[in-house]
Amino acid sequence: MPSDPSRLIAALARDRINLDLKTLDLCFLAGLYLRADRASLASFEEDVLIDMFEQVCDVVDPGAERPRKRATHAIQRLRDQRMLARVDGAGIVRSGEYTLTRLAAAVVEYFLADEALTRESLTLLTGTLRAQLAEILAAARRAETEDAWREHVVAPLRITVGDLVGGIERRQRGLDSQQEEVQAEIAKLLQVDWFGAVDRCQSLLDTTTNTLRELNEVLLRDTHHFVALLQEIQALASEAEQAEPEEAVQRVIEHVDRIAAWGGARQRAWSEYYQYVHRYLRDVVRLDPDRALSQRLREQVANWPSTPFHLLVAAAPSIRLLRPLESRVERPAVMRPRTDREGSPDLVDPEDAGLNIETLVEGALAAGARSLAEVTEWVLPQFPADLRYAVTGRVADVLARITRTRSAIERPWRTVAPRLEVEDWELPREGDRR
Amino acid sequence: MTTSSFQSLEEAISDEHFPEVDLALRRGRHVGRDDGTAYDYLVDALDHLEPFYRRFGCELMQRADGYFYLLPSGDRLGRRQLTAGEMLVGQTLALMYLDPATLQHGGMVQRETLLQRLSGLLGTETLVRTLNPRRRKFDERIAAETVRTKVAEALRRLTDLGFIDSVDDAMLRLRPALMRFAEPVRDLSDRQAALERLVRSGEITLGEAVEKDDSDEEDENDGSDGHSAEDDEEEAGG
Repeated sequence: MPSDPSRLIAALARDRINLDLKTLDLCFLAGLYLRADRASLASFEEDVLIDMFEQVCDVVDPGAERPRKRATHAIQRLRDQRMLARVDGAGIVRSGEYTLTRLAAAVVEYFLADEALTRESLTLLTGTLRAQLAEILAAARRAETEDAWREHVVAPLRITVGDLVGGIERRQRGLDSQQEEVQAEIAKLLQVDWFGAVDRCQSLLDTTTNTLRELNEVLLRDTHHFVALLQEIQALASEAEQAEPEEAVQRVIEHVDRIAAWGGARQRAWSEYYQYVHRYLRDVVRLDPDRALSQRLREQVANWPSTPFHLLVAAAPSIRLLRPLESRVERPAVMRPRTDREGSPDLVDPEDAGLNIETLVEGALAAGARSLAEVTEWVLPQFPADLRYAVTGRVADVLARITRTRSAIERPWRTVAPRLEVEDWELPREGDRR
Repeated sequence: MTTSSFQSLEEAISDEHFPEVDLALRRGRHVGRDDGTAYDYLVDALDHLEPFYRRFGCELMQRADGYFYLLPSGDRLGRRQLTAGEMLVGQTLALMYLDPATLQHGGMVQRETLLQRLSGLLGTETLVRTLNPRRRKFDERIAAETVRTKVAEALRRLTDLGFIDSVDDAMLRLRPALMRFAEPVRDLSDRQAALERLVRSGEITLGEAVEKDDSDEEDENDGSDGHSAEDDEEEAGG
């Protein structure tokens, strides 16, 4: 996989990567995922796939006709989109055996799994991560060969530690979407129940606030330890002049920094939202338990054009700053220093190179040249290399003036000198010339 | 007994916040909790600043919603009444401030939603006529463009006055000071009586606004190009 994001994106665009999953497709995948999970299946026979599709069809689209045919299309569609992979390699010899791809599993897990970050899951993950890093540090201390570094430091950092850190990040994103849901729920509760929803809203606010505060505390404490351990591993790698482990540690440190920054940023953002909602509940909802103010204000706006009133506000003008007094300044006339502009002219070689072109062209014609290319080839050797390009144009000009030229619709390109080509003209025989 | 940390007016006006806050208040700005230390300063210095501003013929008002503003009652300090555009936009934004849907986004609304709400509340024709009282005939395209221009101008001024914050070209953050627009209907008493009470206290004026020519106001406020679509149309038509 190219590491450069632009190249990666260009490659995706070139391959026209896209996903087009209908509800039925997603339900089919989810059904397969759950079945594989419960029955510990590694793959599915074709009949099992079709059977599952029919079951899903009964729920999602009960009136659908020819479900077997639809199942065949659905399987092909999912294979085209790399959601299902055939794993038996038997071709047409017998019916296939299929498995869900990593992509399909990820899509289904996104919709099924409840992976928001909680204090328990975070403490467990950070504890495991800490133990893993301590082990890697011990291995780094023992490592003497490049292979030992690769096997006991780089590999666990990339795979085990990478997965754990990725797990925390994934759960952070889960919590982000949970927060959005809480915000939407608070708005919905107030919309439906107004004053009756105040306590429920307050409790939702407090729960999320506590969760965020706890998570941030754990993150602050543990990320500090992770970075200390990682820096120690990095120092050992640097001492042993092992560039690959050093780089692997650096990547994990950056990942850990990102996790720590998430905690602070989310707590700040939530704190602003918390204050806003708190003020709203206190100043708007509690003071207007019947929600009559909105209705009265709506009527006020609608009737305003017929019974207008205007708020008054202070409007002291800005202090006027006068310009400092300046006496009239005489501006000097624009002048430039006198110089002697009547210098002696320079002596240069005369530019007479083109004067004899016409003679040369006539000479070439007399010698039997039958095309622009032949005439040009005949004339050019008489001139120095730096003038040949300009002379080529003048030859064409002279030729056009003193003779009649003919040209095909597609004029062929011909080489007349090194790195010089002309679009050729044919010339009439001698008797036909002007 | 005063709870202020300032012992005297001299101490209050010697504070580093005073010049900025004083200028903002005199220009009609509503200083709220969102303004951070400026608001905290006003809370702290209120006991000393109230009599100070009273000598200029104005009241330093503090509202329970969490904002301050200066209300001139005499001629010593300049004052102005909000234009029809500012009033309509301000009242609609106040309505949106009360809407729980706004709460989901922490008090942020889109400019486009505001225009939809305005047009839904008043009807397009009433909106156009209220914002352009002097124009008799309307072309639909020009009218829509004029409404957008007037609303954008009103939003800019309401931002300067501290009723809203402009987050970017598309988003606005609503501030509690918008509740001033809801004052006439805040209590359950008769609306006319509430309006009369507000007129007596110098908060509002009744009747049509005496609006200056647009170009004059633009020149006076920021010197920006006050050309509107309407002007262009008129020029084009000779």
